[in-house]
Amino acid sequence: MKVSRWSERLFGTPLPDGVVMTSFLFPLLYLVGFLVIPVFVMLATAFEYNGQLSAHWFSSIFRSPYYFNPLHPDGYLVKTLIYGGEEVYHFYGWDFGVVINSILVSISVMILTTILGTVFAFIMARYDFPGKNIMRVLLFIPLLVTPFVNVIVVKKMFLPDGIINWIFYEHLHLFPKPIWIDGLVGVIIAQTITYYPIVYLNAYASFINIDPSLEEQAENLGSRGFHLFRTVTFPLALPGIMSGAILVGIFSLEDLAAPIVFQGSPIAKKLMSYQIYSSFVSGFAIGNPQMAALSLVMLFLAVVMFLAVRWYVGLRQYAMLSKGGRWNPRVAKPKWWQALLIAFVAVPVLLITVFPQIGVLLLAFSKSWYGTWPTGFTLDNIKAIVTQPDIERVIINSLMYSTAAVVIIILLSLASSYASNRFKNAKLAPVIDSLATIPIAVPGIVIAMSYFFFFSTVPPFKGSSLDPTNLLEFFPGAALILAYSIRRLPFAARSISAGLQQVHVSLEEAAMNLGAGRWKALMSVIIPMIYLNLFGGAMLSFVYCMSETSVGITLGSINSTWYPITAKMKELIIGAVGSANLAAALGVFLMAVQITAIVIANVITKQRYSFIGLT
Amino acid sequence: MMVDVRLENVVKEFDGVQAVKGIDLHIKHGELFTLLGPSGCGKTTTLRMIAGLDYPTSGKIYFDDQEVTYLPSYERGAVLVFQNYALWPHMTVFDNVAYGLKLKKLPKEEIRKKVEWALELVKLKGFKDRYPTQLSGGQQQRVAIARALVVEPKVLLLDEPLSNLDAKLRLEMRSEIRRIQRELGITVIYVTHDQEEAMAISDRIAVMNMGTVEQVGTPRDIYERPNSEFVASFMGKTNVVPAKVVERNGNTVTVEFESFRLEGLHYEGDKDDVVLVIRPERIKLHPVENAVSIQGIVDLVEYYGFFTEVVGLFGETRIIARTISDREVQELKPTQPVTFYMEREDIIVLPKQL
Ligand SMILES: Nc1ncnc2c1ncn2[C@@H]1O[C@H](COP(=O)(O)OP(=O)(O)OP(=O)(O)O)[C@@H](O)[C@H]1O
Ligand SMILES: [Mg+2]
Repeated sequence: MKVSRWSERLFGTPLPDGVVMTSFLFPLLYLVGFLVIPVFVMLATAFEYNGQLSAHWFSSIFRSPYYFNPLHPDGYLVKTLIYGGEEVYHFYGWDFGVVINSILVSISVMILTTILGTVFAFIMARYDFPGKNIMRVLLFIPLLVTPFVNVIVVKKMFLPDGIINWIFYEHLHLFPKPIWIDGLVGVIIAQTITYYPIVYLNAYASFINIDPSLEEQAENLGSRGFHLFRTVTFPLALPGIMSGAILVGIFSLEDLAAPIVFQGSPIAKKLMSYQIYSSFVSGFAIGNPQMAALSLVMLFLAVVMFLAVRWYVGLRQYAMLSKGGRWNPRVAKPKWWQALLIAFVAVPVLLITVFPQIGVLLLAFSKSWYGTWPTGFTLDNIKAIVTQPDIERVIINSLMYSTAAVVIIILLSLASSYASNRFKNAKLAPVIDSLATIPIAVPGIVIAMSYFFFFSTVPPFKGSSLDPTNLLEFFPGAALILAYSIRRLPFAARSISAGLQQVHVSLEEAAMNLGAGRWKALMSVIIPMIYLNLFGGAMLSFVYCMSETSVGITLGSINSTWYPITAKMKELIIGAVGSANLAAALGVFLMAVQITAIVIANVITKQRYSFIGLT
Repeated sequence: MMVDVRLENVVKEFDGVQAVKGIDLHIKHGELFTLLGPSGCGKTTTLRMIAGLDYPTSGKIYFDDQEVTYLPSYERGAVLVFQNYALWPHMTVFDNVAYGLKLKKLPKEEIRKKVEWALELVKLKGFKDRYPTQLSGGQQQRVAIARALVVEPKVLLLDEPLSNLDAKLRLEMRSEIRRIQRELGITVIYVTHDQEEAMAISDRIAVMNMGTVEQVGTPRDIYERPNSEFVASFMGKTNVVPAKVVERNGNTVTVEFESFRLEGLHYEGDKDDVVLVIRPERIKLHPVENAVSIQGIVDLVEYYGFFTEVVGLFGETRIIARTISDREVQELKPTQPVTFYMEREDIIVLPKQL
């Protein structure tokens, strides 16, 4: 009998059958075809100048002070201004050029979210106090994704006549003058409020998973209070916190909602994500190789961050090392001063971060919102969801795209986790594993950009209805489904891979040993044991697809017949007066979808699913 | 349907490291054959290659005269009972056992009959509607055996089937497996690292060490005539005394250790550095005819109930004798002089391992 060594090397078995081949080749070809190659097409564009290989477009970025101005920043962090006849503190931000601004914003957001997320996680993991369960629920609210509209509310909150000043300046007299948060500072605050729950979830899981005996031993040796936290608890939780923080850093880098909402102040446009995005909306710049180069700079930064944290977390897996029986969680009653801090610092901060979602509700049910509070209760905006044809249209579009993407995602996740879990010796297994994970580190706007170049230059797509420069016939559905399925794959793959790891290989081997082919073993043993994970993964990715923003508002917003929800929302918020309220209604719809999905996933799978606010 | 199983120079590498280093085995029809060896010596790997769950890097495997080296597991009929039983938690006992039969597309009625037969064989008749999690460890193990037996395997493979059970159940299941094997007359390959279990259950044993087979033989062969120091010390507590060959006459040699000189021992090796392997229970404290004797002092007396071990000190060398706990032995005290008597055929001379 003939056996091939190369197949053993590649697939981990000398006799790969159809199932094995499919589980390796389907994700491999899909991800190479629709992620790697498009990025390379963009790479080729970025490195070409006058028909020659050249770093021209990169050097044009780094030589232009508009993009790169480390030495003579414009702008200011805070300045006293007159607003409506009154002196206010105007928070704005320094302008170091587009590239550095993006990096600084991302780092600031990482630091702020780490502080907020860690503090809340520590409080929730280690203290017991009345109202804790209410707080636990409130902490999930910021995770509800309402693209653009929550940032609108943040912006309104921090205006001189916004709610923050109403409370802290007018009523509590805690500020000497009203504050006005704007520009890059506004972007930072909005992103911090949106993303800190991601750090919170990671940090909370890390604190909960620390073996109490490790802390008890330290206490036993005389460590207590902050010393104990600094020397034992925090270092053990750090890998988890770092993973969350880096995810936030990447999200901040690619975020479009905050810059678009704050674009009234020019500095908010000076961010990489906005620049790339604007090359889509301002038709003449489209296909600009400089934007390809800028996308690659962004991709480079995101991938470096991602690999750095992977490497770091890989070095420090100890937090999860000591498992073993159940233990008593270390939960204590807060001391009086801790209770005061929780009540008068943590709770108000939490309420501020929850307010944007509440504000979205208020916005959706009101006629207008100028000044501190919205005015004029109305149901028209909500009704429009089911009565206004263009709104219905985008909802149906999004449902279509998301459903198609979810089917692909589930098949991809199943195949890739089967391949990389079951054939660990295969040379292709780590390749598949990395390909299925790396989309986390690929900003959506970069995918959009690379698809633009891919579909507009590579035959057979060039000139077809998939070519975005073919404005009249362009159908974005395929690009959107591809982008959704690749961007959301890592999250579903993780859920399914976790399920597959629970199914010991021997269960499947026993079936094959008794005469079942691989397909039969898969269908009769594996699928019945992991269908809950499949279901959870499907719910998760569906929600994420529905709220996908970057690709939706770029490639998706070329042809209004085929808008997804987010493209419509963007159009509404930068459009006519009063249409933000309609966008908020769509935000409410998305929240309803998310809450329903979470509830269904939790009830049916009896596992804890929580979504991280992906856009 | 049973077959004999042959392995020819089978090698298995993992990442360039040889876990099995070219072994040859011949397991005969209807035999209960045991692979015995310490943890990590390659027993499971060997078994999995026979089951078709792994494929050799080189070498061949035959069932009777058919080569099966690269035959997929599901076409091979060498059914493995996994160490962790691998019962499917989402199927009842009945469905677990019926699985292999359903794959053969047998009529429903026949499947039911066969499953009942198998469950009866492992004494689990009333349990067919339970789920695996509702069974004790021993019961789960028997379901796993029933699931394997019901498909009438050409050869039944058992990977440390008793290691998850408590001591009492282990003894019970051990005789149970032996009973079933005799009743059905099937070829069984059994893996264990417990030498006592191997001795009690096997027709023949292959002792493995670091990916190689050190010795194949009946339990008695292996216990009484080990062919290497490793096999000798692996098969239960034994004395291994370094010595030197000082005189040879064909296969009869004289050896020296400490200040003792033992004549007329049997040795077939050519190295002069040897070890003497002496089972503690073969050492007598009373004079025996034609025995060699050595004089030393008592170092320690350890009472185990039914028997007692006397550790004698001979120069620098400690030798253990095991004897029935009679009154005389009880009276031995450390530092007292003592004489150990051994018959010549109980002293096995083996080349010293490096
Ligand atoms: N899939 C694998 N990949 C890499 N190395 C392996 C693999 N399976 C086994 N090995 C190695 O091969 C050697 C033999 O392993 P094997 O499982 O056959 O031992 P064993 O005799 O069954 O031991 P035990 O009594 O502990 O079950 C070990 O060194 C083990 O680490
Ligand atoms: Mg083993």
